[in-house]
Amino acid sequence: MTALAHPQECLQCGLCVTVCPVEMVGGHAIVTFMADPTATDFSVWLCTSCWRCQESCPGGIDIYGLMMAWRRQESDTAPEGYRVAFEHILAHGQAMAVSQEELDQMRAAWGLEPVRLPPPDVARRLLTPSPAVR
Amino acid sequence: MSTLAFYPGCLVLQRMPEYELATRAVLSTLGIELETVQEAVCCGSPVAESFTADWIYLSAYNLALIERMGHDTVVTICGGCTNSLARTARALQDPAVLSEANRRLAQFGLTVAGRVTPKHLVRLLTERLDDLRARIVRPLSLQVAVTTPCQALRPDDVMGFGDDPLEPQSIRRLVRLTGAEVLDYPGENECCGATLYLADSTLSLKAGRRKLEAVQEADALLLGCGNCQLLLRRFQRFIIRDRPSLRKRALFLPQLLGLALGLPEESLGLRKGVWLR
Repeated sequence: MTALAHPQECLQCGLCVTVCPVEMVGGHAIVTFMADPTATDFSVWLCTSCWRCQESCPGGIDIYGLMMAWRRQESDTAPEGYRVAFEHILAHGQAMAVSQEELDQMRAAWGLEPVRLPPPDVARRLLTPSPAVR
Repeated sequence: MSTLAFYPGCLVLQRMPEYELATRAVLSTLGIELETVQEAVCCGSPVAESFTADWIYLSAYNLALIERMGHDTVVTICGGCTNSLARTARALQDPAVLSEANRRLAQFGLTVAGRVTPKHLVRLLTERLDDLRARIVRPLSLQVAVTTPCQALRPDDVMGFGDDPLEPQSIRRLVRLTGAEVLDYPGENECCGATLYLADSTLSLKAGRRKLEAVQEADALLLGCGNCQLLLRRFQRFIIRDRPSLRKRALFLPQLLGLALGLPEESLGLRKGVWLR
């Protein structure tokens, strides 16, 4: 994790902790992550992406960006909820699975116009680098 | 009458037709019609973003679809989608990102220039406060506790919301137009913890419990994001399992506005006789 560990701008002031909803319920530890992400048992996957820590940080640190970078580095530790949702995106282009038929029925029942779901493999294709830069 | 593009996002499209219905009804009274983006993909955040830095090409695809429709504004009603689309529009200002996006889009016959502005419903309505005020025909007498869509406001330098990113007032102003009162409660500006559910359902329900306990004085919760509704309303029964007296009703922002605009309850996805007596 060397490339991501301890941004120099972090003063360990702890303002981020006071605005984090996860800290309020006894999880997480942003300040510890900022010092050394390997020094906590809590998971980077707990971040709710509310951006309040980032907006509060006097050092202007991209805390959210770091959280996401840590997740990508540790994608083998992803909780099932995230893994399943990502598989749905790759397979159907949507975070949850619904068939066109089910969606059409639901919208008709509410008097809403039909909406076409994306072609099945569109997300996978978009996430594949173009040959020119591979 | 003007027409704007509408990007519902996965959660609202698949689970919350009443939110879309009420949004359309309210905007229609202001002379705004919504044209849904067809074949749109998930916005990419935070799920795809947690696995790949390339997630922005998902949102770039959606922005390209909107440009092809001929729109320069897209209306969103989910905080997360607003955020993803806005951050992607910002990222596309980098010529290297823009050309890679266009290389990936070419296989679908699409191009993107990055000229679309995503606007959350709260921002769109805030720009039309006077217009709304003039149309209020049924002042409401109830007190609501507001939860603000976090990701629609932050990061402030990208979202361009024009509100205080940590103590936002936009929804409060919209609620007051209707005659309803806004409850001050501790933790009003805290995230509800809904997205935590994907990683740790126990902690997420605990976060929801904090919110619910803090808003007990209010008649109802007032929501502007599908994720908040998912945790605080749909999963409420799990949150209050040991204390059913904490039960709290909830309304989406456009449902409350629609009631005050005199729209029929059924056009707002509400059951008749529950909110109006």
